[in-house]
Amino acid sequence: MKRRWSLTNILDTGVTYLLLLAVALIFFFPCLWLILASFSRTGSIYSFDGFFPSEYSLDSFKTLFTDTAMYNYPRWFLNTLLIAAASCVLGSLLVILTAYTMSRFQFKARKPIMKTTLVLGMFPSFMGMIAVYLLMTQFNLINNHLGLILIYSAGAPMGYLTQKGFFDTIPLSMDEAARIDGATSLQVFLKINLPLSKPILVYTALSSFTWPWSDFILPKLLLKEKNMYTVAVGLMSLGETEFARFAAGAIFIAVPIVILYFFLVKYMVSGLAAGAVKG
Amino acid sequence: MENKNSKKYVIASACVMGLGQILYKQYVKGILYLLIMAGGICYFAFSGMDAIKGFFTLGTVKADPWTGAVGDDSIIMLIMGILTWIILLFWIACYYSNIKDVRNTGKRLARGERPLTFLEELKQLLDRKFYISVLFLPVVGVCIFNIVPIIFMIFIAFTNYGGSIIPPELVDWVGFDNFKKLLTLSQFAPTFFRILSWNFLWAVLSTVMNYFGGLFLALLLNKKCVKGKAFWRSFPVLAYAIPGFITLLAFKFMFSYGGPINQMITAMGYSAVGFLDLDAKWMARIIGLLVNAWISIPSIMLLATGILANMDETLFEAARIDGAGRWKQFVKITLPFMLFSTTPVLIGQFTGNFNNFGIFYFLRGGLYLEGYFLASDTDLLINWLYNLSIDNNYYNIGASISLVIFLIISVISLSVYVKSPSYREEDTFR
Repeated sequence: MKRRWSLTNILDTGVTYLLLLAVALIFFFPCLWLILASFSRTGSIYSFDGFFPSEYSLDSFKTLFTDTAMYNYPRWFLNTLLIAAASCVLGSLLVILTAYTMSRFQFKARKPIMKTTLVLGMFPSFMGMIAVYLLMTQFNLINNHLGLILIYSAGAPMGYLTQKGFFDTIPLSMDEAARIDGATSLQVFLKINLPLSKPILVYTALSSFTWPWSDFILPKLLLKEKNMYTVAVGLMSLGETEFARFAAGAIFIAVPIVILYFFLVKYMVSGLAAGAVKG
Repeated sequence: MENKNSKKYVIASACVMGLGQILYKQYVKGILYLLIMAGGICYFAFSGMDAIKGFFTLGTVKADPWTGAVGDDSIIMLIMGILTWIILLFWIACYYSNIKDVRNTGKRLARGERPLTFLEELKQLLDRKFYISVLFLPVVGVCIFNIVPIIFMIFIAFTNYGGSIIPPELVDWVGFDNFKKLLTLSQFAPTFFRILSWNFLWAVLSTVMNYFGGLFLALLLNKKCVKGKAFWRSFPVLAYAIPGFITLLAFKFMFSYGGPINQMITAMGYSAVGFLDLDAKWMARIIGLLVNAWISIPSIMLLATGILANMDETLFEAARIDGAGRWKQFVKITLPFMLFSTTPVLIGQFTGNFNNFGIFYFLRGGLYLEGYFLASDTDLLINWLYNLSIDNNYYNIGASISLVIFLIISVISLSVYVKSPSYREEDTFR
């Protein structure tokens, strides 16, 4: 009996690793292709030998950062970083607070608000963009990074449902215990629920950072000057013969998020609320 | 005597905001209400009334370069009108809350309690009424940047804004003319239904693929026998970290005639395949589905990992002791828990995929095929709307079509949502 179990275990582990390998390949191969393309000497996709460039060099990275007359990549990078960081902080704050309130408080407007946000989310997003553009001209926020930050952060609470779902799974009994001890709502939130929510906080921060980081429609609409561009708009303005430079810029913009992830991974994996109310 | 006074004070507040509060000696609150009243009246006297008028007329003076007359910009007038309506609503809500507040204070006195001091009320905002202080900013933000644009779009569907009628021309209200045009003109109807059916298929297929793909990946990585989880997880996260438009452009290059896949095919002696060509209907659709899965699965996986980490391990132990196999554990414990926590995400995925603009904009954008009016056979409705309104100025038609789509989607999603466990039984897993 015992041996049969271990045999299935070995099989199971083997299949698991095979699957993992396949998944890793599927996700890694296009990235590898892009990474190697960024080191190509000629820069055009048509000079590749099969999947990979025939000659390698560091030129495209050098020109990316030194040849800033036409395409000011370092500037775009800083612009994107500023917009994404600011919207991440503001947006996460708003989402978490909204989600927490919607999960924990019972008030008259609650169900109507839930239904309204759901309905609002169903409108095709860019149909309203003509209006957003006009609003921004009225507020004098065209060609201004503040305008983008405002739009991203203000739009963030619309996606509160994920976070609300998470807060719903944190047991209410702990709130009640704290309240009996005389804690106010603010204290219950800060001292009890927030420390248990690190996984969803990390998820929220990451997703509200990556949205502005990789969005292209809004910046394209609102930023008119080349020096104000974000990386997304800037890279899209590159010609097809600049494929290597495009790839280099793309690799470089992915680096901060990968680094962020490796710093934050431990929060995402361990379930802090699991077992908090055991027994 | 107390009762009589309280009635008087309610009337006082109904006439002048804050007066009742001041009579109750709640000076700070009373003055705040007074300021709101004064501010509102000033705003409406100086600009609000004109904005409301402009909302109805959409401009009466046309710009005339000969006389140098500055004309009305109908579209700006419409949007400012909407903003003013919202401010008016907010102001009325303040007025109402002011009357309610005085009445509550009266009731407190009748019960023999003293009126709350300003500090006590502020403290309430951090405790019993915490939700008001927290939700204020998000609601204002969403109002300005989401609701106003959407209301604007809805109104545009009832105007003749589009084609040659764009400012400085004056735009007018036309009632349901745009919808009549949609139903009677053979130009729009066939394209609409063809795109709609593909759009539905796309949304369902891609949502199912992404959701279960992500869940499967999270479960796979969560298995006890997997060593080096962070390492394996880093591959999908790498895909997640790369901005979508870069992925899409890269895949477009990959499937192009000069791209690596075709180079391999030709190297093996076959002729190149036009994966995204004019006649590549299903091929292009399937590539779109796969590319979308490549982009979306990592984010679902991350979410699922977070939620799985939050699950109660004892449930599984109990199930194992009862002799439940792995499949049974998945179907009876993991899946219900996941669905419970992520039904909203699932709906969000569905609508997000239904309105997935990027995929076919980058992979196959700008194609106009025969049998379609300003669209191609992979285009989703959102791409068609883009072609219609941004590229070809059909703002009013675009807006009315998107209103029709919205109605369809909202009915479907809302009925699913209201039936879902996460809406009906919020306490199941508590």
